[in-house]
Amino acid sequence: MQADIIKAGWLRATIERVILFVALAAIWEISVVAFNVKPYLLPRLSTVVESIWTFRTTLLIQSLVTANEIILGYIAAVIGGIILSLIIYAWPLARRTVYPLVVLFQGLPKIALAPLMIIWMGYGTSSKVFIAFLFAFFPVVISTLGGLSGTPQNLVEHFRSIRAGTWTTFWRLQLPAALPSIMDGCKTAMPLAVIGAIVGEFVGSERGLGYLILDATAQAKTDMLFAALIAVSVLAGLLYWVVEILADRVWWRSL
Amino acid sequence: MSADIAPPVPAQEAAAEAGVRVVNVAKTFGSPPAVRALEHVNFEIARGELVALLGPSGCGKSTLLRIVAGLVQADPGGAIEVLGRQQTEPSPGVSVVFQTHNMLPWLTVEANIRLAAEIQKLDRAEIDSRVESVLSVLRLENFRKSYPHQLSGGMRQRAALGQALILRPQLLLLDEPFGALDALTRDQLNVELLRIWQEIRKTVLLVTHSIAEAVFLADRVLVMSDRPGRIIEDIRIDLPRPRDPRTTKALPEFSRYIIQLNRIMGVD
Repeated sequence: MQADIIKAGWLRATIERVILFVALAAIWEISVVAFNVKPYLLPRLSTVVESIWTFRTTLLIQSLVTANEIILGYIAAVIGGIILSLIIYAWPLARRTVYPLVVLFQGLPKIALAPLMIIWMGYGTSSKVFIAFLFAFFPVVISTLGGLSGTPQNLVEHFRSIRAGTWTTFWRLQLPAALPSIMDGCKTAMPLAVIGAIVGEFVGSERGLGYLILDATAQAKTDMLFAALIAVSVLAGLLYWVVEILADRVWWRSL
Repeated sequence: MSADIAPPVPAQEAAAEAGVRVVNVAKTFGSPPAVRALEHVNFEIARGELVALLGPSGCGKSTLLRIVAGLVQADPGGAIEVLGRQQTEPSPGVSVVFQTHNMLPWLTVEANIRLAAEIQKLDRAEIDSRVESVLSVLRLENFRKSYPHQLSGGMRQRAALGQALILRPQLLLLDEPFGALDALTRDQLNVELLRIWQEIRKTVLLVTHSIAEAVFLADRVLVMSDRPGRIIEDIRIDLPRPRDPRTTKALPEFSRYIIQLNRIMGVD
């Protein structure tokens, strides 16, 4: 019974989405024809779909290149961000010195650093990974620190009263209590890692979806440009979806 | 005022049996402006005694309980002795239950109850058997796999009691454990508390602002003044045990204690 209701709700939501998508697609297709828009400005949707099919191998390969950069940069940001937060949280000296530095660095437009990273690390994967890392790093730090210091005071007192040591309190109380907040940071960080990787490819690369976008633009192949944009959206959506599934495992977030 | 009802405890008997001894304890918070929360607090609780600490809101009774628990440091100059030891930090044999339950939302009731015992590194089999007995005493068997947010307020406080009982404490400190519950649930849980106490007969210090609750439960009621808190009365409650809501509350002595305490606290 319950399952039926949930299934019905899901079905309805899906139908609504499909209707919206079809309507938008129809408006796109019809308007381009009706208003006689030049294809280099906005190609017909059907042309875009056609180029996606024609260049499917290229799109897939370049998507994998970009996905690889995003995922490596993202994982580095999450692990590095959490570790740095723990150091800042546990060590007053780091809180006084490293933390202000991190905040200061955050104020810097990281996009402006991208050319330097290309000079330092070259045209290959590592510079893109590092730029993705730079973009995604800060929200992880902020949310981890916020989660750790937001441990409910009554629970901290309870752990003192049952004579739990520092490590036990960390593993059994502070970390799980901080996880919902950490997961929020991880969710925020994912789209930023995508931006970072694409920015890196814009600034200096011969591979990846960012490069594909620039290349298509240079050759005025707008249908190809749109195909690449759709690939970026699908990639970003997929990656975010994976993070969201992982984040949902921390089910006590809303309690 | 209380002399005709509560004869003072013989000194040497109390000295030998003291579960809690608080001598000249004071507490000042913050500086400046410093807030004097407690002043010249002196009392003793014999082992196995159930004592209620009664006082108006903000009189420092929770602070006093935390000092006894070793969670808050008293000002220098006083002494707190718990189970024969100087109390400076949380010590074994003492469990605390607060008004807001202290269950971790990501653990089941059973896991929450186990937690303290696991942290004390008790033997696995020992923990298992203790959990079973705690769950059965508190009638929580059917809720062992529930998470705290799935429980009613009363069930949560019951489980919070379980979190304390799992350590088999010699001294149980209760800080308005049922204070956030509706009157009916609160009365029910007080009856349960008495039943459990009857079984284990451990020393209990209960902080409350309910006169009726204090009289119904306690062997002695310590009345605290407004801030800075001091013990202004120490009243022995000579009502027969086991107590029961219907018969005990119908006794004329019960009403007399209530009237007496009302007068002391200035609420008549």
